[in-house]
Amino acid sequence: MDQNIIEYRDLSIIHSHQKVLENFNLTIKEGEKVLIRGKSGTGKSTLFLCLLGLMRPSGGDVYFDNLPVNGNSVSVVRTKVAYVPQDVDVGRDSVNEFFDTIFTYNAVGFTPSFEKIQRLLEWFELDDSILKKEFKSLSGGEKQRIVLILSLLLERNVFLLDEPTSSLDSSLKSKVVDYFANDPSLTVVVISHDPQWEREGLRVVDIPNK
Amino acid sequence: MAEINVIQNIGVSGFIFCTLLLILPFLVSYYFKLGIIKKSVIIVSRMSFQLFLIGLLLTVVFDINNPLINVLWVFVMLFFATYTILEGTDFKTGPFLPTMLILFSIANILVLFYFTGFIINLDDIFEARYLIPIAGMLMGNSLRANIVALNDFYQDVKNNEQRYLYRLCVGASRKEALFPYMQRSMLSSLKPTLANMATMGIVFLPGMMTGQILGGVNPILAIKYQITIMVAIFVTTVLGVLVCVIVVVEKGFDDYDLMVEDIKKV
Repeated sequence: MDQNIIEYRDLSIIHSHQKVLENFNLTIKEGEKVLIRGKSGTGKSTLFLCLLGLMRPSGGDVYFDNLPVNGNSVSVVRTKVAYVPQDVDVGRDSVNEFFDTIFTYNAVGFTPSFEKIQRLLEWFELDDSILKKEFKSLSGGEKQRIVLILSLLLERNVFLLDEPTSSLDSSLKSKVVDYFANDPSLTVVVISHDPQWEREGLRVVDIPNK
Repeated sequence: MAEINVIQNIGVSGFIFCTLLLILPFLVSYYFKLGIIKKSVIIVSRMSFQLFLIGLLLTVVFDINNPLINVLWVFVMLFFATYTILEGTDFKTGPFLPTMLILFSIANILVLFYFTGFIINLDDIFEARYLIPIAGMLMGNSLRANIVALNDFYQDVKNNEQRYLYRLCVGASRKEALFPYMQRSMLSSLKPTLANMATMGIVFLPGMMTGQILGGVNPILAIKYQITIMVAIFVTTVLGVLVCVIVVVEKGFDDYDLMVEDIKKV
């Protein structure tokens, strides 16, 4: 459990001709729970984007499982990490079609049972009928829950959660925070302004203002 | 082609009368201040010059009827077709031209020789009188679809980039994540060709058939040619569109599967 799973070494990011991060260092060990805090625009989300290869750092390196993230390894990172972004666009697909599409991908490699989907829907206080609804028509809270459900269905051990509870009501928020903060098998990196995550005793990393 | 009669010649007087017809659009342009009179004169003159020149060249090529020259002519056509496709898109021509030319040539040559060899069943599949006009019809009629496919595909990914990136993040390969965009651009580019086929014979008589009938060919034979050439055009269009999409998927994205920004014309 002491193995490094994510590492940012001297990471610098310049976005739209502005320095977002400069010589940022962070090491996250397997099973660790980390809360990343900072004001808007300080580059919190870009940390996730660099790890997932959606943004190239202007300096420094990112490592996943002790391997540098580059053109050869980025596809591996994407199949080992469950990423929950703030906004998800799935076009005109229904929730069911959205799930079906994801589980046809070769690298995902399996299809979850309907019982498992049902159990998760119930846990997230959603009705089965939501599966037939167009994703686009759902409320912010429902969308957030569906994306969290998908992240759990993917059966991965590393979670990158970007404001995952911002649209959830307080009881569900507690359940979600409790689950992610206390499962020892999961490595969780969460970006959130919600004090509930802090109360769970996550390791806090503050991103300085630029 | 059988049953060719002597077709009525268009003489100098015919061309004078044809030029007089242009007075009508000139009057419309003058009245509505369209400002297209000078442009029309230049374009009509240019078109006439190009066609006469090509007519002269084709006369020579048809007379020589050398397989090597005929195939070379087809390759020159393929080069210009590929160049025209890329010029019609938002992409820079240079990075795409070599790959596109190779794949586009394979697709067109396959259909072309299948057509002359198996469908028309020619003894000499390189015969200039068949090979060159048919190659021209295949390429010319699939050009627009290829341009639409390229532009629509790139624009669609650009407009819905977040959706594409999210698919990558959950583990989709580049091709898997781009599959819906490929589907959409193919469908939208093939729609006009399908609509064209659906209305053929009812709304309009196609050019090839009209030309053959004017040349004295039996209408039934002209129709047989038209049906088979339309199928060949459809197949070439599908293959051409496929080539375009494959080239953009391969060349338009970097090793992180992100869209390459500097492939667009400035």
